[in-house]
Formats: sequence, C-alpha cells, structure tokens
Amino acid sequence: MAKVTVDGRTVEVPDGSNALEACRAAGVDVPHFCYHPRLSVVGQCRMCMVEVEGMPKIQASCTVPIRDGMVIHASSEKALAARNATMEFLLINHPLDCPICDQAGECKLQDNAFAAGLPVSRTSEPRRQFPGYDRTDIGPHVVADMTRCIQCTRCIRFCQEIAGTGELTFIERGGHTIVWTHEGRALDNEWSACAADVCPVGALTVKEFRFRKRVWWLEKASSVCDGCDVGCNVSIEHRDRVVHRYLPRVNPEVNDFWICDYGRFRAEGLNGQDFLRPVLRGASGERETNWGEALDSVKGAVDAALAEAGEGSVLALGSARLSTEESWLLARLFGETLKGRAELTVDDGELRRIRNPKARGSFEGFLKGREAAPNSRGAEAAGLVRAGKDSALEKLLAGGPAPRVLYVADAAFTYRVKDPEYVAALRRAPVLVVHARTRNALTDVADVVLPVASLAGKEGTFVNVQGRVQRFDVAIVPPPVVRTDLEVLLHLGRRWGAFDTRWTARDIFERMRGSVDGYAGLEWDAESIVGAPPSVSPAAAYDSLLAEPLSLPELVLPAAPAGGGAK
Amino acid sequence: MSDYQPVLLARLGKKSSCALETYVADGGYASWKKVLAGAKSGEWTPAKVTDLVKASGLRGRGGAGFPTGMKWTFVPPKEKRGDKPVYLLCNADESEPGTFKDRLLIETDPHQILEGMMLASFALEVKHAYVYIRGEMVHGAEILNAAVAEAYAAGLLGRDLLGSGVDLDVTIHRGAGAYICGEETALIESIEGKRGHPRIKPPFPAVSGAWNAPTVVNNVETLCCVKHILDRGPDWFKAIGRNDRNTGPKLYCVSGHVEKPGVYEAPMGILFKDLLAMCGGVKGGRKLKAVIPGGASAPMLTADEILEVPMDFDGVAAAKSMLGSAAVVVMDETTDMPKAVTNISKFFAHESCGQCTPCREGTPWLNKMLKRIVNGEGRQADVDLLLQVAGQMGNGMTICVFADAAIAPVLSAVPKFRAEFEAYVARSKKPGFDEPAPSDITPKVAERMAEGMHS
Repeated sequence: MAKVTVDGRTVEVPDGSNALEACRAAGVDVPHFCYHPRLSVVGQCRMCMVEVEGMPKIQASCTVPIRDGMVIHASSEKALAARNATMEFLLINHPLDCPICDQAGECKLQDNAFAAGLPVSRTSEPRRQFPGYDRTDIGPHVVADMTRCIQCTRCIRFCQEIAGTGELTFIERGGHTIVWTHEGRALDNEWSACAADVCPVGALTVKEFRFRKRVWWLEKASSVCDGCDVGCNVSIEHRDRVVHRYLPRVNPEVNDFWICDYGRFRAEGLNGQDFLRPVLRGASGERETNWGEALDSVKGAVDAALAEAGEGSVLALGSARLSTEESWLLARLFGETLKGRAELTVDDGELRRIRNPKARGSFEGFLKGREAAPNSRGAEAAGLVRAGKDSALEKLLAGGPAPRVLYVADAAFTYRVKDPEYVAALRRAPVLVVHARTRNALTDVADVVLPVASLAGKEGTFVNVQGRVQRFDVAIVPPPVVRTDLEVLLHLGRRWGAFDTRWTARDIFERMRGSVDGYAGLEWDAESIVGAPPSVSPAAAYDSLLAEPLSLPELVLPAAPAGGGAK
Repeated sequence: MSDYQPVLLARLGKKSSCALETYVADGGYASWKKVLAGAKSGEWTPAKVTDLVKASGLRGRGGAGFPTGMKWTFVPPKEKRGDKPVYLLCNADESEPGTFKDRLLIETDPHQILEGMMLASFALEVKHAYVYIRGEMVHGAEILNAAVAEAYAAGLLGRDLLGSGVDLDVTIHRGAGAYICGEETALIESIEGKRGHPRIKPPFPAVSGAWNAPTVVNNVETLCCVKHILDRGPDWFKAIGRNDRNTGPKLYCVSGHVEKPGVYEAPMGILFKDLLAMCGGVKGGRKLKAVIPGGASAPMLTADEILEVPMDFDGVAAAKSMLGSAAVVVMDETTDMPKAVTNISKFFAHESCGQCTPCREGTPWLNKMLKRIVNGEGRQADVDLLLQVAGQMGNGMTICVFADAAIAPVLSAVPKFRAEFEAYVARSKKPGFDEPAPSDITPKVAERMAEGMHS
C-alpha cells in the first residue's frame, strides 16, 4: 500500500495502482476515455491530465505509477485547462449527431464534454468524414461508424487482451486513423458485442439495439443470465413491459465486465409470450380458461391418479431453468405432499465461457460453463432428483410404465422437446400438464397449459457453476393473466393445503436456508447474492468498482480458438 | 576554419569508398581489431570503451543531444538484467525535413557506421545489433547489406570474432517510411513488427525496449563518432568542439536559399555566419530572413537572432531553438512565411501517428487554419487562434514530443512574422465570420470552468 495525496486528501492505494486509480480512490473523478481497469494502459486519449508534484510537465494520470508520498493536483487550473484542451480537440471533428446516435445518454464524450468541455466551438473547419467507414457492419452484432470514433483503442485492446482474437486494428495514420477489422476478417468472436460496450462513444454500437430505444427511457433491473451455468450478472433493460437489451453487470467474481453474445441476445427471447391464458385440451378440442378451472382440473387428475394407482403415480419434471425456490416448491409438492417423484433433466448443450482469470474455478483465464441451463445445482439441492438410469423419466422414455399424471414445470425443459418421438414418449402419460410461455411440440399435445412469465417477470435465486447463489429480480410485470412459476405452484399446492399463497420468493428462500445445501446463513439482500447494481452506462460500468482492488494480475492470453467457437 | 580536416566525411569522394578493401586500406577496422584482440586478455573491456566515449563528451547526433556515454550506462548491469539480451538499434530512419547527413554517410561510407556499431555493441555487450533504415532509402539499404555481407566474409561479424570469444550479428531492417519511427520508442515498436506508435515512458528503452529487453538506440552519425573516438582518443575529440559540453565534428545539412546547399562537416560550435559563408552565402546575394537551425521541428530564428549563434546544442538552445539534427534551412527575404509554415504544418499533419488526441486532432487543425489563411479565407481571430491551439498541444499533452515539434514552427514564426499573417487575413476574400473572437470566449470559459468544475 502507498499513501497518495490527491487535492489535499490522503488515501492509501495498493502498490501498482496508477494516479488515475488513486484519484478515484480519493473520490476525485478524473474524466477519461481510453483507461479501462481490465485493459492495458495506453495513455492515448490525454483526457485524464493531472499535475504531479515533482514532474515538470502535465501528466496523463493513467500512465503515472504511484509512489508512496506522491502528491497529485487533479483539479488545478493547469489540469483543468489541459482537459479542456483535449475535449476541444476531440470535439472539433466529432459529428453533431447526438439526436440520432444510440450512444447518446450513455456517452462518455457527452459526459466529459459537460464536465470539461468548452461551451462554444472555436473551429469553423469542415468536419472529418470517413466515407465507406460509417454505419457499416463489421461483424454479426456490431455496427461501426468511424466518424464518431475517438481512437481510444479500447475495442482493439478488448479483442486482443480479453477475447484473444484480435480482429480489430488501427488503419491509416494521424487524423485519418480509423479502427477497423483486419483485411478479410469480421468482428466475430464469442463476446463481440462487448467491444461495443467498452466503446465510450457511438462508434461501435450493437446492431440488435440500434434505434430500439433512447437509453434514458430504459428502466433497469438486476438479473442473472439463464443461458448457461456461468450465471453472468446482467441488467435487464426494459420499458413498457418490453425487454430491450441485456447489459453485463460488473461482478469481478463471475463475469467481470463481460457477457457472451449468446447470453446477451437471449434478451430478445424474453419478450415472447404465446400463452396469455390457461389452456385446457380435451376430446372437444382446445379452449382457454381461467386459473381456477385449470388448477382444479390438475388437482382432480392428480387426486384421481392417487386414488386409482396410489403413491408414485405422479411424476413432476423440473428444469434447470427454474429458480431454486420454484424447484423447492416442486420437490415439496410432488415429492412429499403427493408422494410422487420430482425429477430434473439437464442439457449439456454448447458450452459458454467468460474471461475472468480471477474468478474461483476459472481455467486458462476463463470461467467455463458445464451445462446449458443456469440452475441444476440449485434445483438438485432443493430436492429435485437428476434423471439418471433408473429414474421414472428414463423408464417412461424407454417404454416402461407411464405415470398417471406428468407435470412438466417448464415446457422447454430440454432441447429434446423438438423431437417428436420424445414428445410422444412423454405423451404416454394419460394426463400431461405443462407450464409454458411459448408454444412448442410439447405444449401442442398437453392437456393443460399453464401460462407462466419469462425470467424478466420472476425473482428468485440460481446457483452457478462455482456454487455461488445469485439473486435475480423482477424486471417487468407479466401480462395480466400470466403468473410466475412460483405463483402457479403455490396456488396448486394450496389445493392440498401444502403452501400459503402469500409466500414470496424471499419467504421460500428463508424457509430453504435450514435444509438446502449452500443456502445456510445467506441473506436475501446480501451483496454477495445481489451483486452490483445496474450501471448507468456500459462504458462506465466499472464506476461501481471503486472499493475493489484496482490492479489485476497479468492476463495470460490463450491461443485464439480456431473458428472462434467455444471448446 | 579552413584548416579543419573532415573526419566523418574524410573518405567522401574516394573511389569505391563503400568497399571493405578501401576502408581497411584507409585504416578502417583498426579499432575493432584492436578491441577484439584485447578482449580475451581483459585489456579491452566494455567499461573501458564506455569510459572513452563518456570522456569524449559525445552527445547524440539524432536531435536531442543526450550524452551518449551516459545513455549507455542506463542499461542495467548483467546481475540485474539476468538472461535478457541487450539490443543496439542504429537509427537510420532519417526523416526530419531538411536532414540528409545520415544518408550521405550510409551511401558513401557504410563500414564507418558498421565499425561504430561494432564498438558500441562491444561496450554494451550486444550480441545482435540492428540498423533501422528508412524505407525510402532503398539504395542505402542495399549498400549496407553489401557492407554487412563483406564484414561477415572478413570475419568481422559472426561468431567468436578473431578468436576473441565475442559474437555479433548485424541485421539491416527497412522501415516503411513513417517520420514517427525515428522516435526511439516508435522505432522499437516498428522493429517488433507493430505500428510505429511511441511508447509511454517509463519504462525507458535502456531498461525495457525492443522485445522487452534493454535497448540502446543511437543515431548513425553518433555511432560514426564512436569509431573515431576509439581511433584517436577522447582528448582529440574533445579538442574539436567549442567547449566541454559540445564536442567533436558535426555534419550540418544546409538547404534552402544558399548558393551551395549540401552536407558540411565543421567543428561543433561553428558560428552560423561562418557556416553560411562555407555554403557560399545567401542565394543571389539576397538578404537573410529566417533560419530553421535544426530541422522542421526546431523553432525558427530570424536573421538577427541567428547570425552570431554557435551552431551546437547549447548555443542554439540559448537562442531559444534547438540544434536537432542540424538541418539548417535558410530562408531569404523572398520567402512567404505563412506559406512556409503552412507547408511544414502539412508535413506534421500527415505524419502524426494518431495515438494522442491533441496531436491527432491538433496538427490537421493547424494545417487547415493555415491553408485557409494563405488561401485568402482567414479571419482576424485566426492568428490568435493558431497560437492558442498550438499552445495547448505540447508540453506533456502527448506521449512523445512530436506535438512539440509540430507546434514549434507555428509558435516561433507567427509571433516573429505576425505582420505577414495579418496581411493575409486583411486581404481575405471572406472577411469576418459572425463568430466571437476566441479572445472573447476564453475568459468566460475560465469563469464557467471555475464555477462548474468545483461545484
């Protein structure tokens, strides 16, 4: 640790920090563009200028390694004038297209212009144009507009140092410098949209979000990506019950600053809601109904099965996409109250990974997922039985005895529901009940379809590949009649006197603490579970990291994976 | 002055001066053989060579004038650097406008450079030295490659040279013609195969340079001087200069309005008027107007300011300019200063590497403004704005000193020849924009800054 004085305030910062980090630790926010805590320091933007005692010239604070006893003047007249100058230089060629720029509202150039810019422009020269390098796709997810670029090289460094793929480079020189892909390559890696996240201006924007919503209209909710069991912390950005995008929430223990493209663009899928009311299907065809009738009919079928076939005649299939709380209800209701079985299927699927050399369980600099769903560990801990050799599900699929009632708590519980033979095997159960949001082969044949909300409409906890419990919150209120899985299970359970319908996810979480592995002693509101709040902008995401150790061990780059795919 | 015998250019004009045979016949490689012969017995040690160079007072001829011997001592000793090799890079990326001395040395006497590199390599315990030669100098690169091949064939390069146990390889590396690659850290990046972007210092190249190893970058002329110091001793070298801080022979590249432009060798510290006389005086007997004493990046001096100036590092610095690469650009009374400055600013706008904002954006801005002024579209406020913009680009605002170089002509020529700039503006075809003059804005900005930033 070293003692550094910034504008008269003395703080202790870890050895190896730079002056910019010391200023932040002292509560002095030095405006900057090219500095990013997880990328190498290049000192190119010249925005973070400060005066350091003992150094005759003004210094870019990110390039100054701190020394014990260093005295920094971050708000001196000379420092402010220098930032003023840099801001003026950045703006002389920047287009005045904030009204149509997607970055507006979360743009560091705007923010810093307000903080350190001139109120008027002293230039009357024509602004620089880059014909052919504006509004152009440079990859499947990223659109580049070089007229807006401020040449900070964050994206270039992201591709080299985090993704390890190095697609981007500088082309040309001086005032003509642009950032572009190497000849014949596209910005196409597993995390390509993060390059747009680190872009402090609107030079790189995410194609899927362009012109969707002005960012200041977006509301934000903390959530956890359900794409795999890495459990990247995300912020669901939504407006008027429509989810517009995911942004990664910074969590140095899990996904750090990043999220993979696969996870990020799952946000689109959260808006699908094919079932708005419960559906009953019978000999007379298909009809929509109300919850009372739907749940009563499920109760009737289960009671009849129990009366006629006895214990074990009811099978519930959980899913690794259910929260631990929902899994716990399912296991209590079907495993204990109804004396049946509650089982769980987990897909392996394509594995995802995220760059984080610091995280527990990371390997070769990556935290790797093992399963294609977020919560198999929580579901198992809550009492669901992983469907293995002698499970009721395997017997059913192998043509063995079918349960009288099959209750599928997530109609998309495995990718295999696309397989007609698989669906036919499940359909051998005389009564098939499913929770569903979107239509698939299984919902097409189910006797009862119970409409449930997406991840964005629920709250609960997941347990990720590290065994880490992470909470996700409600982002949007589901459509009027649609309920969450939790509510459906509570209301169904009440019909046997099992649960209290006033329970919330938090109540169940607290009940689980005594019995579920990994939940003992946890608090619903604890920071370790909740993670960082959604940040104002992706480029400024690390503002929440002030209390974190600021210097990182050196990243060891793995060889670029052939074809860019996860291995 | 007339009795001065050229040292660096002694072999200029001799037949086959590039050949090893004639070089050896003229006494070449004597020092290298002497050092190699004494290497095993300990008669010649790296420290001894370094001490000789230090004692000579030799200062780097590339532009900054840093004492060469001292630069060499910044390389960490063996105990500290461990297994890391030390690299010597000969900076032959001569690209300062007005400079053409290194090219002459390369094209007429390559073995002189090689011998200097060999001796410096011995002093620094370098096993592999490189010449980074400017891309455009194709002929020079061919000559150097031929000279290197000759040296290998003669056993002056390679393994266990003349049984001394000393190994040395020399590689000629051609750049791609970027001005900035003459800056030592950009040169290092470039030779590593990256874009020629100057690095942040520290770490300095002597500690961590090419391929993260300790690296010394020396100019062609500097290394030639090393050879002569070893040949004739530091006292002889010191005796040539004006004083102890400015020693040795110096090549001056005189161009512009003189009768006989060219490379002139003179003792360090020759008075400008004497140098001008060597070149036959100002062209056509016209009046001297201004001089750039050290390449395009040196501040201009007026005739009055320069005539009595000793042309050495301290002498020119005392006149508030710099000797730089000693590229003396002479301008007579017919020179249109705004056009001359515009021309220089075009060069710098073209050559800025684009890393740092003030330089990337500022150099084209200055050029655009100057072009506008000379095209008759200037306005009154532009002259002040030129100074203000240039004034906020340098002095630590950028990673390297390119921006300081780019603003030097503006910051020197505009105040000194302000009337000429204002005359252009007065004749402007588009007088008066409806914009407040920058001088009206600045106090308000300062006021607003004072309120806004601290609240």
